[in-house]
Parts: sequence; C-alpha cells; structure tokens
Amino acid sequence: MVGAPSSASTPDGKSAPNGTSPADGAAAASEPPASPRSITPTTVKDLRDAVSTVGAVLIRGTGTATTWGAPVRDARTTVSLAGMDRVLDHRPADMTVHVQGGIRLDVLQAELAEHGQWLPYDPARSEATIGGLLATGDAGPRRLAYGSLRELVIGATMVFPDGAIAKSGGHVIKNVAGYDLAKLCHGSLGTLGVVAELVLRVHPLPATSRTVMVRDVDTASAQRLTWALTKSAIEPSAVEWCEPEQVLAVRFDGTADGAAARAAAARSMLTGSLAELDAGEAHSFWESHAARVVAEPGDTVMRAATRPGVDPGLVGALSAWADRAGVKALLTCSPATGAYTVRVTGADAKAHAELVKNWRASVEAVGGFVMLRRRRPGVDAMVESWGRAPGSVEVMRRVKGNFDPENRFAPGRFAPWF
Amino acid sequence: MELQAATDRRRALAAVLRDVSAECGPSLRVLSGQAERRAYETDALTAHRVLPGLVLLPADRSQVAPIVRACLRHGVPYVARGAGTGLSGGALPAESGVVIALAKLNRILDVDPDRMVAIVEPGATNLSISAVAGEFGLYYAPDPSSQVVCTIGGNVAENSGGAHCLKYGFTSHHVLAVETVLPDGTVTVLGSDDIEAPCYDAPGYDLRGVFVGAEGTCGVATRIAVRLLRRPEAVRTLVADFPDVPSACETVSAVIAAGIVPAAIEMMDNLAIRACEDAVHAGYDRAAAASLIIELDGHGEECAELFDQVSALCSEHACTRLRIAADEAERAAIWAGRKAAFAAMGRLSPEFLLQDGVVPRTRLAEALAGIADLSAAAGLRVANVFHAGDGNLHPLVLYREADGEGPAAEKLAADIAELCVALGGSLSGEHGIGVDKACSMPKMFSPADLTAMDRLRAAFDPSGLCNPGKVFPTPALCGEAKAGAYQPHPLEETGKIQRW
Repeated sequence: MVGAPSSASTPDGKSAPNGTSPADGAAAASEPPASPRSITPTTVKDLRDAVSTVGAVLIRGTGTATTWGAPVRDARTTVSLAGMDRVLDHRPADMTVHVQGGIRLDVLQAELAEHGQWLPYDPARSEATIGGLLATGDAGPRRLAYGSLRELVIGATMVFPDGAIAKSGGHVIKNVAGYDLAKLCHGSLGTLGVVAELVLRVHPLPATSRTVMVRDVDTASAQRLTWALTKSAIEPSAVEWCEPEQVLAVRFDGTADGAAARAAAARSMLTGSLAELDAGEAHSFWESHAARVVAEPGDTVMRAATRPGVDPGLVGALSAWADRAGVKALLTCSPATGAYTVRVTGADAKAHAELVKNWRASVEAVGGFVMLRRRRPGVDAMVESWGRAPGSVEVMRRVKGNFDPENRFAPGRFAPWF
Repeated sequence: MELQAATDRRRALAAVLRDVSAECGPSLRVLSGQAERRAYETDALTAHRVLPGLVLLPADRSQVAPIVRACLRHGVPYVARGAGTGLSGGALPAESGVVIALAKLNRILDVDPDRMVAIVEPGATNLSISAVAGEFGLYYAPDPSSQVVCTIGGNVAENSGGAHCLKYGFTSHHVLAVETVLPDGTVTVLGSDDIEAPCYDAPGYDLRGVFVGAEGTCGVATRIAVRLLRRPEAVRTLVADFPDVPSACETVSAVIAAGIVPAAIEMMDNLAIRACEDAVHAGYDRAAAASLIIELDGHGEECAELFDQVSALCSEHACTRLRIAADEAERAAIWAGRKAAFAAMGRLSPEFLLQDGVVPRTRLAEALAGIADLSAAAGLRVANVFHAGDGNLHPLVLYREADGEGPAAEKLAADIAELCVALGGSLSGEHGIGVDKACSMPKMFSPADLTAMDRLRAAFDPSGLCNPGKVFPTPALCGEAKAGAYQPHPLEETGKIQRW
C-alpha cells in the first residue's frame, strides 16, 4: 500500500510556500482543524449530503494520490468513495460498463475479464479508484495505442460543491450532445467535484500481449527507434525507455498470430542486444516499471510532459543535476507521447528540492511542465509542487470560481496557481 | 423601443467596424452589403436563416483577437465560421451579429513526421491535412463525410466524427492543443502552452477537452495541433446483404461481441439501397432488405484473420450475398455508393429531414422497428443509412412540402431523436446540438445538468457574446413555432458535400 496519510495531517500541510499567504499557515498552526471527520457514502444522494457541508473537503479513493500536486490545506471533511465501489450496469454486447466512482481499477478489470473484455488503460496505480484516476489524469504506457481515460469515458455523473448532481455524456460510444463534464474533471485533482459514476467504453481483451526488449539503448537511439516503431505498420501498444538501465521495451497486443508476427517484425527492425520476453519475464518487467512510477514514501516523484520524443538534453540535464545533488534519479519515459516519470531517492530534502528546481527549469525551457506527485518531507518548503503556470490558468481560475466559489474542494491543491 | 434597439445595434456594429478597420488595416476583408452578407445567413442546416450584421474575413490569424475584443467592447455577438457545412446550425449568425469567416486562414503550418503532429490553421480543410501528411505515409483520422470542404476549425467546434471513428475516435481524440482567442479577447493555448511544441499532457483541467465539441461557444480557434496516424498496412472491405433488418442488426452485435473492432460498419435499409444503386450503380442488390458495409484495417496478417471471422459471422446470420472488394477500385466503388446516399435521396423525395440520434448498439433493431412504427403512424417514408458500429442513426424523413407534409415531417424527426434518448441513447452522434436540437436537450439532460454545463460555458464566456443561442434551449428558440423545412445547401447541390 503506497497511500500516504491524509494530507490534512501531513507535516507538509503546514508549510506555506511563497505563493500562499503566510497568514494561512499561521492560522493553521494556531488552530488545528477540529477533529477532521471522514464520511463514507454509499449512494449519490449520500455523497451529495456529505459534500454539502461547511469547510474544506478532501475526496479520497484508495489514497494512492493524496500527495499529487500541492498539499491540501485544512481539510475538515474527508469523503471516502470506498462505499461506492460497484459495477452498476455492464453491457458486454454494447461494450460499455457503468460503474460507481469508487471502484478500484483492478477489481473492474477482473470483472471485465470474465467477459473477455478490459478497459485498455494501464496506469501504474492499478489499485486506485476509477474516479481518482480520472481526477488525476493518470495514464500508463499503453496510452500510445488506446488513449488515456479521457478517451474511454463516455458518460459521467458529478457531484459539485454546491450539492448539484449533474450528468454529461451517456451510455453510447458516440455522442456530442452537451458539454463534456468528464473531460473538465480530467486532471482536476478533486478541486471541482466528485466523480460519482462513470460510463466507460470497454474493449475486447487481446488474446496475447508480447514484449520485446532492447538493451544498451542510449537516449539518441531510444528516440530514433521510437520514431521507427511508431511510423512502421507494426502498431506497438507501448514503447517505454528506462534510464539509467538504458532499456527500451516495446509491447504488442493482438491476436496470437498477429502479435507474434508484429513482435517478430519489430525484432528484425531493431538492432543491438534484443530479446522477446516470455510471459513471466514480461509480467515482472511491467510490474517493476509500475513500481518505479509509484515509488515509495520518502521518495520524490516528478512527472514531466513535453512534446513527443525523449530529449537528449533533458535526459543529460537530469543525470547531471542528480549527480550534483548526490541523489539517484530513476527515469521511465514514454517517448512517443513525451511523458517522463522520475523517481528520486537518496540524500536529503534539500538535494531533492535542488534537483526539482534545476530539472524543472530545463523542461520548461523546451515548453514542458513538471509537477510533483510525491516528495520527501521538507521538500515543499523549498520548491513549489507546480512550476510555471500555463497561459490557460486564468480560465482554470474562473472555472474553479464558478463551480467552487468558496474554494472548499481540495483548497491549495493547485497552489501557487490558484 | 424596438426602433431604438435597432439603432443601438447599428451603432454598435459601426463601432466594431471602425475599431477593427483601424487595428487590422485594409487586409481585413469586410462584407457589409446585404447581398454579400446573405451568403452567410445559414450553414448546412438551411431551415434556419439569420442575416448577420457584418462579415469579417481575417487575412491573418493576428486579426482574430482584435475582432473579438471589438465585439466585446461594443456588446456585439459573434460566431466563427469555417466552410458552413455544419448540420445543426452551429454557425448560424446572431441577429445583427458578426460572422468571423476563417476560410482564408487555411494553411498547414507544419508537419512533423517523427512526432506525428501537424499544426494547422482553422480554415484548413479536413482532407488537406491528410493530403500534406500523406507525403510521409501519415493521415488525419477523423473523416466526416464533408471532409473535402469542411474545415478543421469547424471539426474542433463540433467534435466531428465520421465512418471510421468507430475504431479511431473523434476529433477530441486527435487534437493535442488549440490556440484560442478567448471571449475576453486574450490569446491562450489550451492543452499545452506552446502550440508549436504540443504535449499529450498538460497540467490542470482538461480545457482542450472542453473546448473541442463546445460548438464554438468557448472562443475562436486560431491554430490547432493535431495527431497524425500512420496509414494502415492493410484494408479489407465487404458488403453483406440480409433478408431482413433484424438479421443485419444481429450481425453487427455479433461482430462486436466477437471482440473485433472494425474500422467501420455502415448499414443501409432497402429504401436507401435502391436509391443509391439507381444513382451510382455501385453493385448493391436492389432486392436486399438491408446491407452492411464492413471495413477492417491494420497489420496485414491480423487484418486478414479478423476479416475471415467477420465474413463467417455474416454467413452465420443469414447473409444472402457476401461481396468482398477485390481491389482498391472496388472498395472505392462501394464507398462511393454509400456516400452518394444523400444525393440519391432526391430520387425518392423532393424534401427530407435528417436526424443524428444514437442508440446502444444492441438496441439497433428495436430503434429501427420504432422508427418504422413512427413512420407508418405519420404516413411518411423514412430511409436509413447509418453508422451501425457505433449505433449512430441517420434516419431521413422523406416528405413533400407541396403536399403540406412539412409540419408532420418536423414532428416525426423530433420524435425519432427523442426515441433514441428513450432507448438510452443520445440526441446527436456527430452533428451537434446547435439550434437544431437545443429544444430537445431537456429530454436528455436535467436542469441541474444544463446548469452545470452553462456554468462551464460562462467560465469561458461571461459576456455571453460568443456564439449565443446554441446548445441550450432558449425561450426565443423553443417558445416559437419552429423554422421552415429543409432546403439543400448550395454545396450539396453541387455534390461537394454529403449530408452525413
């Protein structure tokens, strides 16, 4: 279990980074929240009653992402979705499933698998809830082929801070009626509303998945091989590169013969030290890949987004800054979609903060972003969880103001932006 | 009072014109004469017509923000317009409003074949992106039927689909970032920060996801970064004929249930088959009660394997004739027949109304039976040509205005859309709500749903000047008698676009 304690009680919650008013910090220090309470509703109506309260509200699924973004300040009420964990309506022939927001992804996948189906979505946190995964905008390596959760949600029921229960989308896979509230909440980190229910488009479970691994792939080769693979006809479902191991892993999903043929085609295209992993080896490789992304309490985890590619300048800067700070930086990168996850271990908070600051500057210089998903205690006092604000932050502020004018839902999560 | 309001509107328009002329110079083309403006009074939903007060054609994307700011300053409503092929009235002007016509902003600015991304201006046609990307073996996947002329800016506004979005998804799946002139007149990029270096991920709320499909109510796109895909290695296409509609519907369900995701599954009923065959001679069987066009694509061997499975499933479901395209020419002929369906309808009826409702795939047979019942009760014929794979119906209500059948046809069309909602579906699969279906929105969404959506809209456009009167039901639209009958758009008459 990787969940950290509720943010309301973490030491981080008391630190006031430059963006927030020092008075807030002082008030929090002198007046600790009077016995924070936790509510576990089981119906949408109970959920509405639970959020229609006074004071700050923290939404919690299985608690795997409570450290993502900036720490939430002074949550008086934690609303747990643990009691809303059911499949409401699975229609195998329509390839759709209607679930409550608190269902765990691994539980849902197991149910779908009984019907030969799956949600083609593989974030590292398989025990996270589906609502939490939407709210965190998380995605795994197979996003390359199947998109992220934003592409798989076809309907949503949200509960907003004023207690309004609102739906968008529906049960059909093609639908342009009305605004898309589910996409609005993608990446909202619990600051806009609670995902009470979702309707998802599911896919047939591929008969086979094969993984080809190439060793000793430096950054330039990783980029070159990725372009070659994505432009070929062999349709990989994932291409991942890990540093410092310098391993490139390529995944294929499909029919037994089809995936085998494409894996064979990949082997003939790639050069160097390569091997096709057997099922057991592939399973343990992808498990360890996920473990690196999730990391452990005490680690700092940075997630960067850049334009597609694995930028040799950024990888070089990461290792140079890590050496200088005396920390270990373990990178996984999805070159085709420009996603980097860096797990930082070793040394102290000051060293972690220094690496975050320096590498973030490198990433921002090429138009990218770095957010903190986790940090060593003490890091928050030295570096912001979010870096340069995007130009659209003013619209985000207005959206937040329109849906949560009292700033009750996860206040502080996007500090110092809003 | 009314006279005063009209004078105020004229003054406001004159002030907008003065401001934008001063700021943009002579390269901004201005259409102010009534005859010139008349060409912009409707999009492809020709039943609705409103004469705009002013039409502005920016020659450069830097001219869009000054126009929006001038409209804001003087309280004048505006709508952005691409090719005017929209089917829900999304580009219908506001009365005495401004039309910002983006047709001249039609450049493909950059194609990055490695990153598989293109940066384009909003007036670029959908097909022009694929034409340029084709040089690298790449293409832009969403393929609305009007792709020869419809613009990417309009596709973004409507979240357009097409026959192949069953496998490849809609516009929103393929747009990485949108440079937008927001209704407050500022320019920002949604979905990344640098439109020239678009990222898959961006921090915070998915505003790009909100903007795509917001029907032009959240701002005006000035540059769009789209994903490109590699052309599939293999494409296989078949036509399967069935003795009755339920058998064809069951086949669709069987293909989906077998775990196969075809690139496209299209269905035509007998009325549509006969009209298409008479018009185009695509080799369809005029006697078939229903036909499916099924296309698979992908890696060679896998595509062949799945195609064999699909062929077998057709045979198991009482298919009377299976025609497999032998080559690209035959494939093109099959699709030409399907795409000629609209033009062909003229053979069946002088007028028709088109609906765009969606039902869950397993309820297709029920929906078609329901449509047949409604059709019989109304005494009007309905032809069906539609995207069966994703349950997106396109019923064509055939009628004669000269015989006074217009009102009955309007009612039948609305009843069909609402039948789709009652079957657990949606009012619109790809055409959008616009003004066409705004009055039916309360059948699908509760007041709380619509309030939340309007709250989101207002965060982008607190002034309410950006394409007002769309998506949401308004007393002005829904309280009055509905507008007149369908009239073909000039582009349809010339055969440049199809209706669905």
